Amino acid sequence: MLEIRDLSKTYANGVQALRNVSLQIPTGMFGLLGPNGAGKSSLMRTIATLQDPDSGSIQLDGLDVLANKPAARRLLGYLPQEFGLYPKVSAEAMLDHFAVLKGVVARGERRALVEALLQQVNLWDVRKRKLGTYSGGMRQRFGIAQALIGSPKLIIVDEPTAGLDPEERNRFLNLLAEIGENVVVILSTHIVEDVTDLCPRMAIISQGRVLLSGQPAEALSALQGRVWRKAIAHSDIEACKSRFVVLSTRLSGGKTIIHVLADALPEEGFTAVAPDLEDVYFGQLRQQAATRSAA
Amino acid sequence: MLREVLRFELRQQLKSPLFWVIALAFAALAFAAAGSDHIRVGGGIGNIHRNAPFVVAQMLLIFTVIGMFLVAVFVAGAALRDFDTGMAEMIFATPVSRRAYLGGRFVAGYLASVVVIVFVAVGLYLGVLMPWVDPARLGATSLAAYGYGFAVFVLPTMFFIAAFLFLLATLTRSMLGTYVGLIAFFVLWQVALTLIRDDIDHWTLASLIDPFGVAAFDVVTRYWSANDRNTRLPQVAGLLLANRVLWFSVGAAMVATTLAVFRLNREPLRLWPRRRRAAAGSETPDAARGRLVVPPVTLRIDAAARFQQFVKLARFETRSVLLGVPFLVMLGFAMANLGGFVANSNEIYGTRVYPVTHLMIEAMNGSYNFLLVIIVAFYAGELVWRERGARVNEVTDAFPLSDWIPLLSKLAALAAVIGTFLLVGSIETMVYQLIRGYSHIEPGLYLSNIALADLQFLLIGTLMLFLQVLSNNKFLGYLLTVIFLISKIVLTQLHFDHHLYDFGGAPQAKYSDMNGYGHFLAGHLWFRAYWACLAVAMMVVAALYWLRGTSQGWKERTRIARQRFDAPARALLAASLVAFAGLGVWIFYNTNIINHYVPGDLKNERDASYEKQYRQYKDLPQPRIVDVKIDMDIFPHERHVEVRGHYHLINRSPVAIRDLHMRLPIHMDLVDVRFPEHSVVSDDRDLGYTIYRLAQPLAPGAAMDFDFTLRYLSRGFRNTPDDHRVVDNGTFIDSSNFPHFGYDDQGQLEDRNERRRYGLGPVPRMPKIDDESARRNHLIGIDSDWVTFETTVSTVPDQIALAPGYLQKEWTANGRRYFHYKQDTPILNFFSFQSARYAVKRDRWKDVALEVYYDPQHAYNIDRMIYAARKSLEHYSQVYSPYQFRQLRILEFPGYERFAQSFANTVPFSEAIGFIADLRKPEDIDYVFYVTAHEVAHQWWAHQVIGAYLQGVTMLDETFAQYSALMVQEHEYGWPRMRKFLKYELDRYLRDRSGELVEEMPLSLVENQQYIHYQKGSLVMYSLKDYLGEDVVDRTLARFDEETAFQMPPYTTTREFLTDLRQEAGPKWSPLIADLFEKLTVFDNRVVSATAKHRSDGKYDVTLEVHTSKVYVDGIGKESPATVSDPIDVGVFGQAPDGQEQHQKVLYLAKRSVPDGNSSITLTVDSVPFEVGLDPYNKLIDRVSDDNRMRVTLTQ
Repeated sequence: MLEIRDLSKTYANGVQALRNVSLQIPTGMFGLLGPNGAGKSSLMRTIATLQDPDSGSIQLDGLDVLANKPAARRLLGYLPQEFGLYPKVSAEAMLDHFAVLKGVVARGERRALVEALLQQVNLWDVRKRKLGTYSGGMRQRFGIAQALIGSPKLIIVDEPTAGLDPEERNRFLNLLAEIGENVVVILSTHIVEDVTDLCPRMAIISQGRVLLSGQPAEALSALQGRVWRKAIAHSDIEACKSRFVVLSTRLSGGKTIIHVLADALPEEGFTAVAPDLEDVYFGQLRQQAATRSAA
Repeated sequence: MLREVLRFELRQQLKSPLFWVIALAFAALAFAAAGSDHIRVGGGIGNIHRNAPFVVAQMLLIFTVIGMFLVAVFVAGAALRDFDTGMAEMIFATPVSRRAYLGGRFVAGYLASVVVIVFVAVGLYLGVLMPWVDPARLGATSLAAYGYGFAVFVLPTMFFIAAFLFLLATLTRSMLGTYVGLIAFFVLWQVALTLIRDDIDHWTLASLIDPFGVAAFDVVTRYWSANDRNTRLPQVAGLLLANRVLWFSVGAAMVATTLAVFRLNREPLRLWPRRRRAAAGSETPDAARGRLVVPPVTLRIDAAARFQQFVKLARFETRSVLLGVPFLVMLGFAMANLGGFVANSNEIYGTRVYPVTHLMIEAMNGSYNFLLVIIVAFYAGELVWRERGARVNEVTDAFPLSDWIPLLSKLAALAAVIGTFLLVGSIETMVYQLIRGYSHIEPGLYLSNIALADLQFLLIGTLMLFLQVLSNNKFLGYLLTVIFLISKIVLTQLHFDHHLYDFGGAPQAKYSDMNGYGHFLAGHLWFRAYWACLAVAMMVVAALYWLRGTSQGWKERTRIARQRFDAPARALLAASLVAFAGLGVWIFYNTNIINHYVPGDLKNERDASYEKQYRQYKDLPQPRIVDVKIDMDIFPHERHVEVRGHYHLINRSPVAIRDLHMRLPIHMDLVDVRFPEHSVVSDDRDLGYTIYRLAQPLAPGAAMDFDFTLRYLSRGFRNTPDDHRVVDNGTFIDSSNFPHFGYDDQGQLEDRNERRRYGLGPVPRMPKIDDESARRNHLIGIDSDWVTFETTVSTVPDQIALAPGYLQKEWTANGRRYFHYKQDTPILNFFSFQSARYAVKRDRWKDVALEVYYDPQHAYNIDRMIYAARKSLEHYSQVYSPYQFRQLRILEFPGYERFAQSFANTVPFSEAIGFIADLRKPEDIDYVFYVTAHEVAHQWWAHQVIGAYLQGVTMLDETFAQYSALMVQEHEYGWPRMRKFLKYELDRYLRDRSGELVEEMPLSLVENQQYIHYQKGSLVMYSLKDYLGEDVVDRTLARFDEETAFQMPPYTTTREFLTDLRQEAGPKWSPLIADLFEKLTVFDNRVVSATAKHRSDGKYDVTLEVHTSKVYVDGIGKESPATVSDPIDVGVFGQAPDGQEQHQKVLYLAKRSVPDGNSSITLTVDSVPFEVGLDPYNKLIDRVSDDNRMRVTLTQ
């Protein structure tokens, strides 16, 4: 169980990255959804002990993470959003090296671990290849392999599926799903489907604030019967935006489909649709924007 | 388009703070160099003005070359910026043309670089205007010199540099690659220069292949007098022009190449195709994968695990560095550099020495000194920033890894870099030793040097790591490193020379084959330990501030550091700081409390105060020492000497002497002094000057005894390794360490600028030759004429102790070995004591015992020395006068000093010269023979004939000894071999005279100026002999010897010698003698063209167009024309079978009258002429010696 209480962080340039963020994250996959620049990475890095908040606390199974960074790091697996690998080192050697740095110093243990991890992430056959020759998906799988060293209690994966092709993405999410059965896995993403597919719990974060947190099903039920859909001409988008709370616009077969939020049928031509997580997500963002412009 | 790119680019450059930092730093450096003596970048010394045109041009040139490393940032940066920032793809997608893109960037980078040098020029200009600059050291400001400097050096050289950098950057697409290439190029340049600089036959080559024009400038201005340097600039012609044109063209070619190879796409140019391995095995389908099973492991954080992590990480870092291309490239170039160093070090007159191990080590340390510091600085930055550069830190920073492990592993990698350099260097020099056929390789010595040197560089590396970690910015880290390195130099210049505040510094552990590291090692190691403690403390702080995760401000880093500052860190920091302080106190106690620490400025101040306080007593009559008896006990292991001495003094002045002024060096303790009743007027222990007042003044002609007990104690260690009088093996202590009487002007400040600083008048010069009163003293000391000498000296049983005189008795008592020496004829009050574990080689010449006392490791040239001594004794006793002693001994001493010196029948000879000379090549100059002959000649020229201490005096001993040795050498080796020797002498004379600080004197008025009484002396005497004949010169010298040997005051002068010479030579040679001895005469002799025709009778008609002219020069180099009056050698030579000049057949050689200016000579010779020459053997002083000869063109 990971408990985050009242985390706040303002960078030197004045950007408020986190504002009183509080979250309770139980074992299992937890989706952290938010647009670019929402503060997801700041939150992830803070949990990963890589940056200190201005205020607030983080408890992992009763351990004060911020006060006991070395102890917390032993419970942690972290796959950063952007990371590099030495391009001229083979995957096997690199993983072995990482295992030593994490504290797996017994040679036999380490060898078995490296083999098992490479097998699990399906890189065993390419373990001798230099990391510089890896594709994006292979790199991400290598990244998750290193995060799994030492059976961490908490795994943080920051935007892992960005840039992956659908097959790689699937493969990666499957891997995560398996991991999430026993430990806390925080998956930060701006892709709603990642959360839809995987996460029993989630939070939406924007501009450093948690807008919503809980189970996707609860969030969906709150929107039940309030999401409407219509195919419109491209030129009508602006007009619709001024008249309705538009959740999303999307092109489908050459036409523009809009989703709007309304307690009753907004206008002729709209049909009710079952809300999905994306509607929840955009609903929250629109609401935040509306609140702010009202204020 | 080009203009657009250029404008944009320039704006980028000028907006960059880096540009301003570099420009202002350079301007400040130039300002300081121009306005003070504390930073020297070329510059004006002595009579050369600080703002002389020569100095301005030279400084601009030097700053341009130094600037190369910094302007790389602009030029290569401009070439690389779009790749680094990832903008390349966008830019290359625009329709910008290749020429505009590249051209704009190149020109902008070049202009930015030139602007930096403009800042330098402004700094130079302002520097000399400052109020503290002595106006006496300034000439008229020459704006033309700035213009010249830019036009001839800065613009073309910077163009070449920029073109080179641009090409490198474009080819490698990496800053690292560019820097590696640049360093490689710089090192190659250094190697090439070192290889050829000292060999006077290769100057032309050197001036051409130097892209910066430094060598060309050097060669062209090599012999310029102070006046030349103050008023002239080299003509842009000949070598200089050729050099400028050549390298400007090369620069242009490189720009063209860059344009040609540059491709507007992302792939860097590959010089060899990348091996592409087929993608190994396709991935197994997911279905084949089982359930997620990760075997359980333990994450350990115990000490053993941490150690293992450290070892693993250190290995990982080390491997990544050592296998990297940059490392291999730098290592390769360091090896090339070392090869150049090793092959060329320690040459004397072009003759090499045996590659003894300690010289190899010195060469290695010397060649690495600067280079390895740069490399360590480079890798300190690379290693600290490695994870962040590769962005691996994003992953590893979240690992449960202690903060100090990565830091220490980087330090270990740095140690490995240094160790590898030292190891490979050692192996290289060992191979060199074997190639030279030298097999006495000392692996132990190599190992101890690796240990000592690794520590030295590692200490600096630690500081650099510390700076990189603390500054948390790679560039800032490098900048701080550079500031540190510069501050080290500046501190030394400012006389802050105590190693207690010179980070990582320690007195050098001097090595000599005779004495090993000796007592120097202890002091060296104490200092190193002291700095190592601080290094540990710095590593602790660096670990506290080791950056993890996101970049943070200072406040936050300090907060984190405080969190990390746990008990072990506290304990380690405290312990290292306490040890640092404790060792500091211990060192201070050793260097400053029980030893004298005299920094350079204090030394100058003392010299000044010595002169101010005591020069008033210069002519105060003092008694003369007439008898010297010394009992000396030498304790080499304790480095301790006890002296009981006795002088007999006589008042030879016409007045009664009331005060006795005693001088004694401050390192000698005066335990006790006994002489007739007296009181102490003053006792100045800082200056070693004591004034005693005799109760009963010493009447003229009266005598008194003077007994003293002295002690020389070595206590602890010192800040500088200059204390090598008494050492474990190779003690050498001379008569200057005993009491002397009266004011001696030898210790006065000579540097006129230092003198001005201390309010002293102009440099006191030697007494004028007309100063009759000065003739009461001779060259060696002012308190004696000739003395009787007797000594008993004792030492440890396995050493032999020596002093002048004949051995009366040798015995052993209380475990010590005693020697009693007695000199039965009067000698100069000039003697030395030596003690070492000697091997002895004995021989005889007539009734004279010849002995060489040498270190058993250095037996190479002992027979040569004996042979030279025999030949010399034979020649001199036959030509001049009989040898006055019954023995002649040559005694080796450790190479802490590099000289040989002649005491009565005793010649101490440094191990660094002669004993290890490699004379296996017969064509090399045999300087062992030469130096021995020179020192033996001093038994006549000094120990028989000694001149009055006034102008010209050193001609009577040094020049005559040079000439005597030259003659023995010529009889031994034949005269064609002399040209090589004289050419070296001519070069050194011409070079050193341009560095004259005061005034160049004619030979007969020489004021102890080495380049005059040695080098010019050789040339003048050889010329004289050539014109007058050897018999006339020898006859004159013999006559002079007979007239003056062992004389009492008034002592003789060069004037008396020249009178003899004019009488012996006859009046027709009087003008020549004046030219040679009494004036500064410089010729310009050259062959303009040489042709020959084969005649029908088989002979050849040779026609030479020659030029000759002569000028007289004054003491600071102003010339006035003169007329050539004496005949000059004209020669025609046939080709030598082996191509060596000394084996050429002389077809014609005669002195002929050659009219002033150009003229033509036609000669007939019997066989094919190959070369002709006007003064072909360089007997006359001529600034350009190479154009005296020319190949003959055969015409039909």
